[in-house]
Amino acid sequence: MISVKNLKKSFGKLEVLKDISIDIHPQEVVVVIGPSGSGKSTFLRCLNLIESITEGHVYIEGVDLTDKKTDINNIRTEVGMVFQQFNLFPHKTVLENIVLPMMVVRKWNKADSKEKAYALLEKVGLSDKADVYPDSLSGGQKQRVAIARALGMEPKIMLFDEPTSALDPEMVGEVLEVMKQLAKEGMTMVVVTHEMGFAREVGDRVVFMDEGVLVEENEPSELFGNPQNERTQAFLSKIL
Amino acid sequence: MNDFILVIQDMLDTVGIDFKLNIIVEYLPFFLRGTLITIGVSLAGIFIGMVLGLFIGMGKMAKSWIIKLPFVWYVNFFRGTPLLVQLFIIHFAVMPSGSSTIASLIVTLSLNSAAYVAEIFRAGIKSIDRGQAEAAHSLGMNKVQVMRYVVLPQASKRMIPPLGNEFIVLLKDSSLGAIIAAPELLYWGRAATGQYYRVWEPYLTVALIYLMLTLSLTYVLNYVERRLDTE
Amino acid sequence: MKKNLSYIYLSILLAGLLVLVACGTNTDDGASGDDTTTDEKPVLQVGTDAAFAPFEYMETGEIVGFDVDLLAAVMEEAGYDYELENVGWDPLFASLQAEDIDLGISAITINDDRKESYDFSVPYFESTHMIVFNEGAGITSAADLEGIKIGVQNGTTGEDAAEKVVGENSSNISKYDTTALAFVAMANGDVEAVVTDNVVAAEYTKNNPDANVEAITDTESFDSEFYGLMFPKGSEYTDDLSAALTTVIENGTYEEIYQEWFGKEPDVDALLNAAE
Repeated sequence: MISVKNLKKSFGKLEVLKDISIDIHPQEVVVVIGPSGSGKSTFLRCLNLIESITEGHVYIEGVDLTDKKTDINNIRTEVGMVFQQFNLFPHKTVLENIVLPMMVVRKWNKADSKEKAYALLEKVGLSDKADVYPDSLSGGQKQRVAIARALGMEPKIMLFDEPTSALDPEMVGEVLEVMKQLAKEGMTMVVVTHEMGFAREVGDRVVFMDEGVLVEENEPSELFGNPQNERTQAFLSKIL
Repeated sequence: MNDFILVIQDMLDTVGIDFKLNIIVEYLPFFLRGTLITIGVSLAGIFIGMVLGLFIGMGKMAKSWIIKLPFVWYVNFFRGTPLLVQLFIIHFAVMPSGSSTIASLIVTLSLNSAAYVAEIFRAGIKSIDRGQAEAAHSLGMNKVQVMRYVVLPQASKRMIPPLGNEFIVLLKDSSLGAIIAAPELLYWGRAATGQYYRVWEPYLTVALIYLMLTLSLTYVLNYVERRLDTE
Repeated sequence: MKKNLSYIYLSILLAGLLVLVACGTNTDDGASGDDTTTDEKPVLQVGTDAAFAPFEYMETGEIVGFDVDLLAAVMEEAGYDYELENVGWDPLFASLQAEDIDLGISAITINDDRKESYDFSVPYFESTHMIVFNEGAGITSAADLEGIKIGVQNGTTGEDAAEKVVGENSSNISKYDTTALAFVAMANGDVEAVVTDNVVAAEYTKNNPDANVEAITDTESFDSEFYGLMFPKGSEYTDDLSAALTTVIENGTYEEIYQEWFGKEPDVDALLNAAE
């Protein structure tokens, strides 16, 4: 479903991603962990070309993102993304946040879009917040709206960039709950997170990144229970 | 002079204030005519300056430096040289011989304010968090859609206060038209001074009219700002 | 309804202005009284707007001109020390009203409107007017000014003369900050003729030989106007300096200075007649 071949990314002289290759299969939940500055967020942002790719290739369902002929906007509708800072549109109500891309990008009519948006809000448990502005929501609620907004495009893949890092501890649970539900429904997901519990419980595969390199990957029980690489061991001993 | 003014003049004379109301009364029709021209010239300048400024601001944000260069220098020139000199150049050199002074004044004010509006526009867009555009792009919106639906609606709210400032400055700057004898408000203030060789009566009256105009403008801008805030 | 509006307008106006003016007048009254009690003559402060060649203008940082030389002669005759300062045109009148300066000399025309607010010396210069126009415009008398665009310098005798022909504040009259600007505007086609002092017109044609302009005068339509020293209303120096000025005119000093600056004989009799 996603195929990354020899991906490299530099910011000026600083090489952030050094030759990363990985394949992600349909309905798989891949959790990316690693210390801050390891390049895991940059890696995720390369998967929908929010960050430009310096070298190498990313294929989404066989389409090469780095090919100039690729219609990237079209690919992005298939790849939803959820950000650490939510990035809801503050000038739009909750409902409008979800409806806007449906109408503008998918060209669905207003009635259909609204119907779908209400269904999504119900799914994330925020039906009663449809007409308020994002400012009046808690962090957890904002992130659930952001997930609903991304799902509105009916993507085949969802990317989560530290979705709970900006949340107060008591709100982490409600967001993870929605993500678990998504995983259960068979969504293909790539999740960058520090929530090891979530990785263990929901992840099909856990990937450990450090200094721009994909150090080790394995099933959660194996990676957490029996890490092979020294750097993985050192990282896990610090956080577990 | 009617009775009311005579009474006030008497009061002024009694308390020893040297202020000749008859000058103001005589020139009031001219001040009012000048005020209309000041308002018209300013509104035209604001409107044309806005449209042109948006265009120049976008040009200045182009990625290619070759496209960017003329816009950058447009802004450099109009922000970096005295408005008076611009007015001279435009009226005496650029505009066709014999063009009306009012037309020259409108053109100068428009071109000048466009440079400031371009910068306000650019700063407004830059002030919007990058995450907004990233989120919109991640949903599949193209550049135009991101601008139109996400960035501009937010940026325009932030641009209102500096734009309001610019409008007020433009309104007052329109008084430079007096130099090329465009018959706006200050022109008539100077004419009255020229006739009587007295500066306070005409200039304070003119200043008061400018004050009323700028206060009205401030009021309108505050209203717009409040409306946008509650939206 | 219209009247009501003008009442409201004037009320607002007065409320705002009274404070300003009141403050200004009061402080000045306090300051000026003390110097005059001593026998020694005070140093007079004289203001000018040095932007009107050849009467007063800046030459390498110095104020020079006909007015400047005449002032020196009058002050010597009257026995005053003085300081001449270039204060600019509008500030000149504000300074006189506030009595920050004792007199102004700046080719200031004596007329009735201004006499309401200021005192003037006897006249020291007779000014006639010329109509300057682009060659071939076919203007032969002041009457030809009717219906064409006229440029003048704001607050000058030229303005008065033109307004006498076509009406005060006529929309055909454009008033410029300087005569030079009026001429530029004429070259640009904004106006078709410029009405100005004969001396200034001569100065312009001398300095711009390529401008292709003609100049005519019309003594029937244009009355002569006279320049005078200008004093605050009720000034104690008006009589002293007027007397000195008359002496300077009568004893030939005036003629010398006039010759030096304008290269011809002045009509001294006309000046002395006008004084009476």
